[in-house]
Amino acid sequence: MADLSKVGTEYPPIVWEVERGKIREFAKAIGDFNPIYLDREAAVKAGYKDTPAPPTFLTVPMMWCGKMPDFINDLKINFMMVLHGEEEYEYYREIYPGDVITGTPKVTKMEEKTSKSGSKMDMITLEVLYTNQKGEKVAKARSLLVERK
Amino acid sequence: MIQEKYFEDVNVGDAVIELKKGPLQKLQLVMYAGASGDFNPLHTDDDFAKAVGMKDGVIAHGMFVMGCVGQAVTSWVPKNRLKRLGVRFAGMSKPGNTITISGVVTDKRVVDGENIVTCSVVAKDEQGDVKVSGSFDAALPSKA
Repeated sequence: MADLSKVGTEYPPIVWEVERGKIREFAKAIGDFNPIYLDREAAVKAGYKDTPAPPTFLTVPMMWCGKMPDFINDLKINFMMVLHGEEEYEYYREIYPGDVITGTPKVTKMEEKTSKSGSKMDMITLEVLYTNQKGEKVAKARSLLVERK
Repeated sequence: MIQEKYFEDVNVGDAVIELKKGPLQKLQLVMYAGASGDFNPLHTDDDFAKAVGMKDGVIAHGMFVMGCVGQAVTSWVPKNRLKRLGVRFAGMSKPGNTITISGVVTDKRVVDGENIVTCSVVAKDEQGDVKVSGSFDAALPSKA
């Protein structure tokens, strides 16, 4: 059962260097062959500085940093009972190869809810604000985790 | 290249997206696991998936389907116009499913000098079961 007193907890930053090959690999894995992700020249022609990161790319630093199990443990969430309920990204700037992205994860909301069928669950919102090496805000990710009880 | 969309040409109620993906293959989920770093075996290992109650084996990563939604959205509006994309994971997608992503304009307004269009978006399988639903905001240029 999630420890609801942990709301407001901030975790150590996630730091991630963005590589051109990872952007291409991620786009291809989705089956998105938009040339702006695959070819620098096509991206420049379309008005980008370089091949930009696709809309859901910020899952890459989050998953590859390997910290999610630590957050889940710290929040006393039962890993076997947790579902990914929602995901939202707000975009402020493009993310390009060579950028060094720093994400600051924070637990912004924790609450118990009762479903229509009467079962109880804890809803945990984790927000990560990402900045680049110039200190510019690039995006915010918001994840809703649902722990069934 | 994705055609630029202008604020004046977009109206509430317009259908804006139609992208069909699939049928989903297990190999894609392996590729997505490696690319994203999400190695939960529920998405790549049939034996594991069956052991935790998935009778047909592996299911797709929710974030893979959201990635497909992102592809659909940025095949309608150029990526650098996208301001927000949010989804709720409603159902599991399985290998063999063909996912159709569609969207409708629900609002348009000017906020701080930006022309913002909000659209709903939904991903359904061939049975019409909803996998992912959500919305996005895009800032569109004006013809003026």
